[in-house]
Amino acid sequence: MNVKNFIAGLIFVFYIVLLGYLYLGIGQGRTYPARPISIIVHSKPGSAIDYMSRKVAEIARKYSDVAFVVDNRAGTQGLVAMQHVLDIKADGYTLLGVTKSFVSTVMVNKSKVSLRDFQFIANMVSDPEALISNKVRNFSSLQDIINDAKGEKQQVWIGPGTGSRDHLMALVTSETLGIDVKWIDYKSGPQSILALLRDEAAVYVGNPADTKGKSNLDIISIASDKRLESLPDVPTFKEQGYNLNESMWRGFAFKKGVPNEAVEYVTNVLQKVVNDPEWANYCDDTYVFSNFEKQEEFTARIIQEVDETNYYLNKAGLLATYQKESVIHIILVLVIIAITVLLLLLAFNKFKISNINYDQYIAGGIITISLFFYYQTVLFEIPSTLNVTSPALIPRIWITILLVISILLIFKSKTKNINRVHYSPKTVLIIIIYLIIYLVAMQWVGYYFTTPIFILSTMYLLKYKKVTFMIINAFGFVLFSYFIFNQLLHIDLPLGWLLM
Amino acid sequence: MEIINDLWLGLQEFGHILPITMMFIGVIIGIVVGVLPGLSPSIGVALMLPVTFGLDPISALVLLVSVYLASNYGGSITAIAINTPGTPGAVATTFDGYELTKQGKPLHALITSLTASTIGGLVGTIILILFSVPLASLALSFESYEYFALGVFGLTIISSLAGKSPLKGFISSGIGLLLITIGFDTQLPFSRFTMDIPNLADGIEFIPALIGLFALGEIFYSIEKGDGIKAEKTTKVDLSDTLPIKQVLKLKGLMLKSSIIGTLVGCIPGAGGTIATFIAYDSAKNSSKHPEKFGKGSLEGVAAPEAANNGSVGGALVPLLTLGIPGSASTAVLIGALMIHKLNPGPELFDKEPGLVYGIFVSLFFANIFMFFVGMMGNKLWIKIIAAPKSLLYPIILALSFIGSYFIQNSVFDVGICIVFGIMGWLLKRGDFPTAPVVLGLILGKMIEENLRLSLIKGEWIDFFTRPGSLIIIMLALISFFMPYIKKKIVRNG
Repeated sequence: MNVKNFIAGLIFVFYIVLLGYLYLGIGQGRTYPARPISIIVHSKPGSAIDYMSRKVAEIARKYSDVAFVVDNRAGTQGLVAMQHVLDIKADGYTLLGVTKSFVSTVMVNKSKVSLRDFQFIANMVSDPEALISNKVRNFSSLQDIINDAKGEKQQVWIGPGTGSRDHLMALVTSETLGIDVKWIDYKSGPQSILALLRDEAAVYVGNPADTKGKSNLDIISIASDKRLESLPDVPTFKEQGYNLNESMWRGFAFKKGVPNEAVEYVTNVLQKVVNDPEWANYCDDTYVFSNFEKQEEFTARIIQEVDETNYYLNKAGLLATYQKESVIHIILVLVIIAITVLLLLLAFNKFKISNINYDQYIAGGIITISLFFYYQTVLFEIPSTLNVTSPALIPRIWITILLVISILLIFKSKTKNINRVHYSPKTVLIIIIYLIIYLVAMQWVGYYFTTPIFILSTMYLLKYKKVTFMIINAFGFVLFSYFIFNQLLHIDLPLGWLLM
Repeated sequence: MEIINDLWLGLQEFGHILPITMMFIGVIIGIVVGVLPGLSPSIGVALMLPVTFGLDPISALVLLVSVYLASNYGGSITAIAINTPGTPGAVATTFDGYELTKQGKPLHALITSLTASTIGGLVGTIILILFSVPLASLALSFESYEYFALGVFGLTIISSLAGKSPLKGFISSGIGLLLITIGFDTQLPFSRFTMDIPNLADGIEFIPALIGLFALGEIFYSIEKGDGIKAEKTTKVDLSDTLPIKQVLKLKGLMLKSSIIGTLVGCIPGAGGTIATFIAYDSAKNSSKHPEKFGKGSLEGVAAPEAANNGSVGGALVPLLTLGIPGSASTAVLIGALMIHKLNPGPELFDKEPGLVYGIFVSLFFANIFMFFVGMMGNKLWIKIIAAPKSLLYPIILALSFIGSYFIQNSVFDVGICIVFGIMGWLLKRGDFPTAPVVLGLILGKMIEENLRLSLIKGEWIDFFTRPGSLIIIMLALISFFMPYIKKKIVRNG
């Protein structure tokens, strides 16, 4: 037995050991909680809700037998995270970090996900909305903002998002103050603050923590009952005679149908976290109110907010129904365009299909896709109440350019005699099929079973012959990726739902 | 000299066992992160964030910036070795780096890239230390008009990348520009062109698309040509053929220039290192004595983007530390790290924690130097991988591309995106359509659209030409666009 065979054998043994380690531990333990509870967060590490969840996880270590682990699933303003939680069994091991922004997110996106699918366990903090301005403006009260707004130029207010919490706050506030302002969406908090620093706007609608470390910004007012102890000089709306209460809350929810013992356990732990002195420090440090609300109170609050949000979104024209064409209809249009383009290409080549060269096929494909996209831009509708440029503008510019160039290319390629050596794409097509099977199988039986099979079969397809090296390569790669991803970088590779 | 005082303070802060150990660990993890396709610097930094909770602030930040720095270099290794940019910033490195590998000179490319990365990183750090205050006002002066102009400037680089047929280059970039409009509208809360597929609501995830276009596209293409099938087919590598130091030193002016470009563009929030690499590549080609060699294995074509890429690291820290604004996805995570350690990013940080800020600067210096030595040792390993038979290598790259696309959002859909773009890359390559402009379109499309529409809300079209900043950039764009054609004309006539 030579060294190579020995190594190959050893790697295979390690692989079997790894499989045993990964799969045999699953499903053990009966009483809740038996394993770590993950907190799904809808934004990237470092965001407000992420920081709060991590703080909770840190303090909870003192009060819980199992760890709380933060798992970031960013995307589509939280819909990705919500959907992810709904996809998992309601066994009490997956908490969702929820914020007030979810209320408008589900409405504006008309998503299939509903707030009713969740059981809201507890609210943790309330983060007052704030009007923030650049120091050079020298605003010190709401009256200053009102006076400025009554000047010649329309006052500009900025913040991230259209239909976002901050946008709604701007609508509510300007209505309360009785002034007419222009809302400009700067996409993100940092971009908004940059714009404010450049004095592009009078007011940035955000939260007090946005001003941390930026001594050139002023918080004019916060929309809460009382002042923040950590910001004793910042007045509330109420003190200045405006009854306005707008806060971003952040808390936790389960998917509906979680066993009662899990709800009780988690509520209990969260309550202890809130009573911990470290929690008070956290709240002071991030300029928020600690505001613990249990399930009933929390849910009642959300129900009330749904109506409110609905009213203001409607008023802003953000719930205006834009028509959605059915998918079948759209695909039909695509097929019709494709056939028409193909017929035109044929006509151009005197109805001989062998005359159509590769460049013309590509150009034809691009013309098809461009026309298909153009068709969809016709369906866009913009609510007239909003101050925006058309969403069709840019796509149409690109489409026009693509159409012109593709047609040019078709004419040019005719005059040129393109002689290309053609190889057989057979092997490539088989590999693409392998990849698709690998992808589907990975979801069913997991990464660790499918990967060696994929690698071995692809090597075989590519006519690699040395069996020992094939084994070292395939199983060695799985071991290597386990250590790099799971151990070094703490990324879990899928284990497959069939085996879980 | 106040600065020397501050640096001394920083050195004292950094000069302990824990921060230094974290720098070593950070550099090594960073290179691993960079090498693995799909793990971009920002993901690498985010993955390391939880690890830093238990550390003191300086060690935590040293670990994160070391990962950030080294991952920017690491991305170039796979770009050169297997035409798979490990990070978005390494896309431009594939143009000449992979060509050199195919010619059997991967070591030339690897050494040039490492040297350029190190110089870029050092120059970026020096600029950061000396000029962070004036640079902050540059960052602040960029309004939507200038961002739009910068996006257009980036697009004009297609004329350098297009190769033989400009028409095909334009088509490729048009594909990228159009595809990136899929998803959430930049101003209205609804999704465009998604055909009701929920996963498309947020648009096409960039990194899986990138991996597909480059890694899968290249593998499909060369398998079709029969490259992968013969078991013994390998890339011939002459190990003794290392790059003479003289040849690297010849590029010092270019590296310096590209580092400065990288730092300047890097400090503009939201522009980012990737755009800087393209601009540096373009400017290197335009000013080169041998522009015809670009895209065919020019060392200048490797040095320029790599220097710019690592220069952008220092740049990206400018708005973070001076304004408290993240300039890139990676620095956004760094802001989170500062907050978690109860530090407020922004101008106050310099006054309140000079030791910490300068400690980070000092650590960047050492991290760069350490990265150089690790990289030199690593080169031997990469060369071995390059020399492996293709039929052994390709299945592994395919599997790696799969994981890379998967774990960005733990999404199987993204793996599908990777395959679709792989097929697209292959189809384009078969017809001599360059794939790099597709990536350029994907990178710049959002920036152009967002800022054009924002500008039109704020003002009129004419504003792009009346504001000095945007006017200058638009002029630069025009020059950059027509330069290759003018040069060709001149060469032909004389």
